[in-house]
Amino acid sequence: MSDDNKQNDPIMQWVTFRLGDEKYGINVMQVQEVLRISEIAPVPGAPSYVLGIINLRGNVVTVIDTRNRFGLMSIETDDASRVVIIETEDHIIGILVDSVAEVVELRASEIETAPNVGNDETSKYIQGVTSRDNELLILVDLNKFLSDEEKQEMDLF
Amino acid sequence: MQPKKLDQQIVQQDIALDSYLSTLLDEIPSHVELDEEDEIKAVPLPVKQVKVSSAIVKKPVAQVDIKAEELVKPLRPLAVMPDWAKDEFQALFFKVDKLILATPLTELLRTIKVEKAPTKIPGQPSWFMGLLDTHDQRIGVLDTGQLIFGKSIGQKRDLDKQPFQRILITQDGRWGLACDEILSIGKVEPDKVRWRTLRKKKPWLIGTVIDELTAVIDVNHLVPHRKSN
Repeated sequence: MSDDNKQNDPIMQWVTFRLGDEKYGINVMQVQEVLRISEIAPVPGAPSYVLGIINLRGNVVTVIDTRNRFGLMSIETDDASRVVIIETEDHIIGILVDSVAEVVELRASEIETAPNVGNDETSKYIQGVTSRDNELLILVDLNKFLSDEEKQEMDLF
Repeated sequence: MQPKKLDQQIVQQDIALDSYLSTLLDEIPSHVELDEEDEIKAVPLPVKQVKVSSAIVKKPVAQVDIKAEELVKPLRPLAVMPDWAKDEFQALFFKVDKLILATPLTELLRTIKVEKAPTKIPGQPSWFMGLLDTHDQRIGVLDTGQLIFGKSIGQKRDLDKQPFQRILITQDGRWGLACDEILSIGKVEPDKVRWRTLRKKKPWLIGTVIDELTAVIDVNHLVPHRKSN
């Protein structure tokens, strides 16, 4: 591929994880680390999508229940469960996922816009979809994963 | 004495005439104020009984020769009626739960068997089952049961235990309507359908095939209009 084409169709790396039957991808540049499940301290009065907080080398990080956020039923964590520490525009949060799969490379041209038939607010964090290994990969825009109000609320934990 | 009597009569007539004219010219009060003690009593009016005799038409009515064809007025297409409903059309009959529905073939691209569950997209309404890649196309699969019966009834169905078997793909290849069974393809004549005129509610339901009591649906009104992101 020529340099012009590379510029027009850049390659991005995505960390993929599973939630139920579906596979999701998040921008590798925003992933700080992937942790095994440790003790998550619940926060009284927190919204349902907040599992609690963890101590990450002296920093308090809020862990989000991604299943709850995506409207899926919560399940018991197991050996495959992971907390992915991600860096959004101005916050560091952890997201609990069923398992972390791999890192994949995708060209911008491979990503298609996901249909939005519902409420704009609820699905604005879906950046797009792409077909990979005979299944659809749903790409999540972490910067839109939480609303501004929700981000402010994170500061209180 | 005679002339004096005549004068008197004339004067009395003048007075009477003046009185009559002044009564006519007097303004009729728009309302009459009643004292509190006044009562309005209904005055019974004499009712005259009128005998109505049956009319007898003496002259024979001129015979009007109307042909049967002229009695059958041509179907006037309604503004809300889709183009395909103006003439005889081929329809696909399919089943959603226990309901049999019909939709014109021209509105559909193909039907597929459900071999793989659609990929669910978070944050979408419950009637949006997800995305499915098929025949180089990515379709949004819709829970036809929820769209037709409404959320409260449609959501009662456990799709894990009772999954839809077939998907009807719309002509534009963007949407798939999940259903239980495809029954048949048949011709439907417009005059055999009771077309709905007011379609403010349920605009997708455009009529009923009278013989089979099958609902005729316009899939274009059933599918959502995809928002551009």
